[in-house]
Order: sequence, then structure tokens, then C-alpha cells
Amino acid sequence: MGVAVLLKQVPDTTAKISVTGGRVDESSITKWSISPYDEYALENAIKLKESGYGDVVVITCGPARASKCLTEAAAVGADKLIHVVTESGSLDSIQIQALLSAAVKESSCDVVMCGKQAADTNSGSTGPGVASALGYSCVGAVTEVSIEGNVISATRLGPLGLEEVEVETPCVFTFDKGDTELRRPNVRGIMMAKKKPIDSLTSDDLGVDTSNSMVSVESHSSPPEKPPGQKFVGAESVPAVVNMLRNDANVI
Amino acid sequence: MAYEALDFYDIDSLLTEEERMVRDMVRDWVEERVLPNIEDACRDGIFPDEWRVEIGEMGILGAPLKGYGCPGLSYIAYGLICQELERGDSGVRSFASVQGSLAMYPIWDFGSEEQKEKYLSGMAKGELVGCFGLTEPDYGSNPGDMITRAEDRGDHFLLNGAKMWITNGTIADIAVVWAKLEGVIRGFIVEKGDEGFSAPEMKGKHSLKASVTSELVFQDCKIPKDRLIPGVKGIRGPLSCLNNARYGISWGAIGAAQSCFNSAREYSLSRIQFGHPIASFQLVQNKLSWMLREITKGQLLAYHMGKKKDDGSWIPEQISLAKMNNVDMALEIARMSRDIHGANGILDEYPVMRHMANLESVKTYEGTHDIHNLILGRHITGIQSFTREP
Amino acid sequence: MSTTVISESSNNSLHPITAQLVGAASALGGSITIICPGGIGATDAAQISGVSKVISVEGGCFNTYDCIAWSESLSPLVKDDLILSSSSAMGRELISSIAATKGVPVVQDVTNLAEGLLVTRSIYSGKAIEEVRISSPCAISLRTNSFEAAGGGGSAEITTVNVSRDITVAVKQALTKAGERLDVSEADIIISGGRGMGEPSNFSHLYEVADALGAAVGASRAAVDTWDDIPHSMQVGQTGKTVTPNLYIAVGISGAIQHLAGMRSSKYILAINKDPEAPIFSVADYGIVATWEEALPVLKDQLSEILSS
Repeated sequence: MGVAVLLKQVPDTTAKISVTGGRVDESSITKWSISPYDEYALENAIKLKESGYGDVVVITCGPARASKCLTEAAAVGADKLIHVVTESGSLDSIQIQALLSAAVKESSCDVVMCGKQAADTNSGSTGPGVASALGYSCVGAVTEVSIEGNVISATRLGPLGLEEVEVETPCVFTFDKGDTELRRPNVRGIMMAKKKPIDSLTSDDLGVDTSNSMVSVESHSSPPEKPPGQKFVGAESVPAVVNMLRNDANVI
Repeated sequence: MAYEALDFYDIDSLLTEEERMVRDMVRDWVEERVLPNIEDACRDGIFPDEWRVEIGEMGILGAPLKGYGCPGLSYIAYGLICQELERGDSGVRSFASVQGSLAMYPIWDFGSEEQKEKYLSGMAKGELVGCFGLTEPDYGSNPGDMITRAEDRGDHFLLNGAKMWITNGTIADIAVVWAKLEGVIRGFIVEKGDEGFSAPEMKGKHSLKASVTSELVFQDCKIPKDRLIPGVKGIRGPLSCLNNARYGISWGAIGAAQSCFNSAREYSLSRIQFGHPIASFQLVQNKLSWMLREITKGQLLAYHMGKKKDDGSWIPEQISLAKMNNVDMALEIARMSRDIHGANGILDEYPVMRHMANLESVKTYEGTHDIHNLILGRHITGIQSFTREP
Repeated sequence: MSTTVISESSNNSLHPITAQLVGAASALGGSITIICPGGIGATDAAQISGVSKVISVEGGCFNTYDCIAWSESLSPLVKDDLILSSSSAMGRELISSIAATKGVPVVQDVTNLAEGLLVTRSIYSGKAIEEVRISSPCAISLRTNSFEAAGGGGSAEITTVNVSRDITVAVKQALTKAGERLDVSEADIIISGGRGMGEPSNFSHLYEVADALGAAVGASRAAVDTWDDIPHSMQVGQTGKTVTPNLYIAVGISGAIQHLAGMRSSKYILAINKDPEAPIFSVADYGIVATWEEALPVLKDQLSEILSS
């Protein structure tokens, strides 16, 4: 019993990203935050805890700086903090999921929550991947959950639209934004958070081999400069512009 | 565009994790709750009550006080809280300053055990609002000659007189009032509803419009004997409260200045004149560079002052310098930022004119700029020049 | 390299992205197998040129969506070194789970795919481009409209496989989303009107375009200040909301500096204004000099045409 929340620390969505020497310059990123969808996972986990469902264990996988997001989570009510220490950006999805799954097992939580995707890569591989690795069920794009016994009902945006689903634990939920209001930390929470120990684990501690990543970053680059604006005269140019929006800009 | 507070000398790296978290909490709150609503609050001339509730929920009131449900944060954290609140608006910071440094502090430091138990935890939660009555209509820079009097009537005190320019007065549940009892300045706790006590709001301000400013009127106001604050006599009582508030203001001013600097920087980069962003013109760059220089100096001053507050090695004259310098700097920056914004600078689309108008009050209250100069003058020369008497 | 493509469906038929997935796979060479979950679109899939085999997977679990049940049913049928899917929400979820089941890495939302398996994707919401080398076997989801679709005229063999797993996610009821309009702060596309709209009632034309695009409707301060019917919550700009959608359409907005401050960081900006000198054109990627009365009906027709195809 208990809820594990998988948090990823990402550059704040408003942060400037600069590329030097073919790599994103992490040192120039001034603000790192919990990935926004993960915050909804955390909020829902705390709500579940308040309805009597075990402790909230927050788990992050990342370099030393990532421990900050655990303390931030503790300030709003997370009970146990686990930091799986890895180097930034060096692992493939299988390795990350193996590390996180091992940490979830260690926490013995049977409910896992995370964002539907992280704001840095927008991938969304972790939730379903961890579910498969652990043999848990998985419900994606969830906005709300409530529990009765070991049955959790959730509101999700499925392929056919918004639905209410029921699933038994153990299960992984990936969260979308929804109407849930995030709680603000307060001074008492912050002071308690800083006293909370962070359990730092390495891949060796978890018995996961992280030596051969199947994925490696070749290069980063800045997005190509947009061409200068084009101006057309008359409503008859609308079809041409719509085509450009679709085929060049790829935004509709 | 995300708010990036100017921090040219990386003060951030000197902060503890806890201080940073408290700052970010307040910064986020200001961004979400104050900035979108501040112009309406100013137009309506109100301090929204939900701000009181939310500030209370954050647990930042009376920040550096320990025990009795108070937060027990460092003075640096208290400074950062003031900085972030005032980046939103000086009126919001004033609410917190008055509550924490002027109303909670004297109870915490000089109050009886019963008074502490009765008031402090509710005040820390924002459930009880306090105000501070020192200034009178005819006694501003010279509070020692106040005319508000308390008389001992055996089983109660009788208060007569009036206070003016009292932040939070009308919304306050309790007032810490300084009055002369047998010729000696003493502190009294007056509760809303006490017989003979009223707190009408002062209207028509062009400054601190989102803050409640009031008169406190005592006409044969009867208060029980246990409302006398026992632990301090003389002008030292109110002045010790002012030290804490002034310290907070020295940080708050930085927040207002950062806000004006950011607005000027962004505006000058997007405003095109003569075919180029005005940020590319030397006169504008000179102004921006001056702002950066002055804010950076102010930050170092405030940070070091905070460290001295935390280790207890400070003297009041140092606080005078910090308050005077930083408010002066912020006001100059607000005016300069208004210049850079051109005509747009007078619009409520930008925070600049609001900060400028607010800072005129901030320069005046808690010891005017000139009074702080006299405090320093006395410190330097050993000769007081407040009065003509020797 | 041989490839398995997980087909994408919508409204019970094959989604056009499936042909783009095949197009991307064809460029790498090798045989291409399409797996159609629930058998949807198998006949159409067989006609995509370059496809060697279609596996129509039929089973009870495909009547409702359960990512784990689906991936456990499909994974044993995937024999190739490269697995491709669309990067729709469901596409990503399913391929993540299949990849994890098969123990191969996955890279999502790829916009370019080259041999050696060098893939390109956008990271940090488009603020940087990442090139990643990935060794097969592996799984990759591809972004819509980034790859040339394979043509028709194929005639691949269709094998029907009956396989199902227990559903653990039970759908209790479909919910209807409250008819709330999207807020400008969370929309990918925003269409905003200014005082040039003439009357607040004319915002209805903006709403029609917004409905076609799934967009939010915003307004300039001039519009909000002038008309009580246009609430402050719609205001984009210095004292309104700062927005960064993929596409911002400004209609009848001259482009005061305060408005530009709230929207100039949008990825793409389309401006429609009758004044060719309006400052809004200085930040627009696409500018149309026309009245909204002329331009909006054409825009709406074009969008409904293009989005329904």
C-alpha cells in the first residue's frame, strides 16, 4: 500500500535554452522545476493519502540537482524521498524504467503516479514503460482518481473521449492537467521538508545494469530561424496561407 | 515572459535551501495572485481579504519570530519575503511588515506570557490582524512628544488621543498603541470593539492604494489592565519595532526596484524608435546600467544587514542606512524606468508608475529619508540635530 | 532493416498517419509489417505501397482501450528490429509499453529518421533540436505530417490473428466534457480579436473558427476595455495573459506594444488586418491584408475542408 510518485526535474518551461558546442548548456538554465504534469500526479497522490491510502513516496531519477524536486514535494506533503542518482541524459528508456521500477519495488507501493509526459522531451514513455516492467495495469491521461478498497476509479481522456474507468491495484496512472488545483507549500511544510532524509540510491544499489545505453545524443542544435514574415493582400490569399500553416509551419 | 529577478552578484548562491524555497513560494504566490489583481485592488482602494488569508496560510507572518506558532525563519528569509511581496506591491509588503514587525514583534518581545499566548499564533496565521499606533496627526518624525495619554483608573486604563497614518487600522482586530502613562511612553493592546475606540479609514491616497490606511481615535477608551505591554518603557519600545520593519523595507525596496528594472529592460528591447530598439541607444543603456549597479549594491547591503540581524551584531544606524539607501535607490529607479517607458510608463499596463507612487510613501514612513540622515549624522559626529535644544 | 508498424486508427478506420509511418520505414529499406489492433483498417493498410504483410489482430480486449492488455497481445507478434507508431497520445503510450515488454528502448515524437538510426526530435517545447543515435532493436514514434506518406496500390497479404488479454481497466461510463471554452493560457492555438471586430457580437465569427481548430478565443485590451461582453480573462497582453501557443491568429488587432508583449513569443503568428501598416504585421509570420468580414469566412471554409480530409 502507498503511492509512489515519479517526478522529473526539468528546466522551468519558461527558461531560456542555449546551445553551445553542440549541447544544450545546462549550466545556463537558471530555474529547474518539477515537470508540470508530474505536479498533478503529486497533488492527486497527496489527496489519495489524505483519503487514507498509505504514504506518498516520491522518486526521482537524475543528477545531484534533482534532489531539490524531492524536497519541494516534501514541502507539500510527500512522506518519503528516494533519489536514484544518475548522470544527466545518459540512459535509455529501458534503463530509466528499470531503475524507477526497482525503486518502486523497494518502496512497496502498489499505486504509481506520474505525469503523462515530461516537459523536456514530451516523450511520455515512463508511465506505461514502468507499468509493463512491473506488471501493473496502466491508465493514461488521468485527471482525477478516487479509491475504494483496492479499486480506483479514474477520469481519463481515452481515445473515445472523456471516460470514467475502474481499475484494481497495482496500477500506474499518468496525469493530465484537469481541474485539480495544486496546493501551495507553506513555511511549516518547507521547514519539515528540509529535515526529511533523502534516500540516495545508485544503479548498483538497485541491481540495475546501466553500462550500455542503446541511445546516445549526437548533437543538440538551436531550432532553425524562422523565415521572415510574409504579407499577402486580399482574402483570396487565405487558402495559400492555410496551406503554409499546415505544410510549412505544421501547426494545424 | 518568465520573471527573472536581477541577481547580478549571485546572492542566490549565498542563500540556504530553506531560504530559497520560502522565497520561491512567495514569488509564485505574488505571480499567481497579486500581479493579475493588483491594478483592480488599487483602483478599488482595497487590500483584498483573500490575500490576508493566503498570506496567513503560507505562514510567513512574523517570519523571524520563534515560538508561539510563529515561523522562526532567519532574518534573511524575512528579507526575501519582503522583497517578493514588494515586487508585487508595496501595499502588500506593508501589510506583512506591520503585522509581523510592528504588531507581533512588541507582543513577542515585551508582552506578558498571557498576551503572547492569546494573540501570537492567531496573528501568525493571519486570523487576527494587527496594527501599530505611534504616529499622530501632529507628531510624525517626533513621536516622543506624542499627546495620546493613558490614565490608570484603578481597574482599567482610559485612553485619549488620536493616531494617524496607521496601516491596517480599519481591518485590524488589535492595535498596539503607544501612549503616555504618567509621562512615560508605554504600549497598550487595544481590541476592535473596545468602548471608545474607532478606526476610520483615510481615503484619497495617490500611493499605497492597495493598502488600508486609517486613523485610530480614542475617546475615553476603556481597556482592561492586562492589556498594558509590561516589558518596555519609553521610546525604545516603538523604536525597536521600527528597526525590524525598516530592515524589512530595505529588502522590499529591492523587489520594487527589480520589478521596475525588468519592465524597463523588456520595454526598451521591444520598443522601436528611429528604426531600432531603444535599448540599443546609449542614453537608455546608461540608465539600465545605473539601475543594475544600484540594485546590486542595495542587494549586498540588505544581505549583509540580514546576516548581522541573524548573528545579533547590528546597530540601528546600520538599518537606517539600509532603509534610506534602498528606498531612495528604488524610487530613483522607478522614476528612471518611467522615463524609459515614455508615455506608456504612465499606464497601468506597466507596474512602474504604481511602484513610483508607492515608494514616495515608503520613503516617508518608518523614518523619513531625512530623519535617517540625521540618525547617521548623529552617529558620525556625536551631535544630535533633531532639535534645537542641546 | 525490417520494420513493424503499429497502425493508427480513428473513427473505426485507418488514420492517414499510418501511410506516413510506412513511408518512413520504406526509406530505410527492408520488409514492412503492419499490425492493426482490433483489425481496424487492415484492408486499407494492405493497399499501402511497400507493405509486405498486414496482421489483423482481433480479440475481445480491443473493444475498449487498455494499454497493457493491448501491448501484451501485440508484443508477441512484433518480430522486427524496428517498431514504429504514431506519436498521438495513444500511439506513444502503446509503443512505450510494447518497447518495455520487449525490452527495447523507445524514442518518441521523432521528426526525421535516417540510417544508422539517427533520429531527430524537438526538445524543451521546440527550444532545441536533438539528434539521437539509437541502436536497434528499438521503438520509435513519429510526428504527424513529418514524413512523406507511402502511396497506394499495394496488395499485402492479410493474416488474421486471434489474441486477447484480460482487460484490467474497465470503462464505467463516457463523460461529456462541460461545454467550457478553452482558456487562452492553455490552448495550442489562439484566435484573438481586437477593436477592429467592430462589435462584440462579431466575436461569434472568431468562435466559429476556434471551434474548427480546437482553439481558444482571446482579445486585445482595446476590445476588453471597450466592450463589457468581452471579459478580462480573455485579454492577451501586458496586463492580460502572456501566451505562447503554436499558432496565434490576430484579427482586427493593430498590435500595440502592450499586446505584442503578451503574444510575440508564439511559435507562429497569423495577422489579419485591413491596415497594411498595422504594427501587428511586424511580428507576423503570415500577414493577410484584408477585412475580417472578407477573410474569416474563407478561413473557416478552408479549415473545415482541410481538417475533415
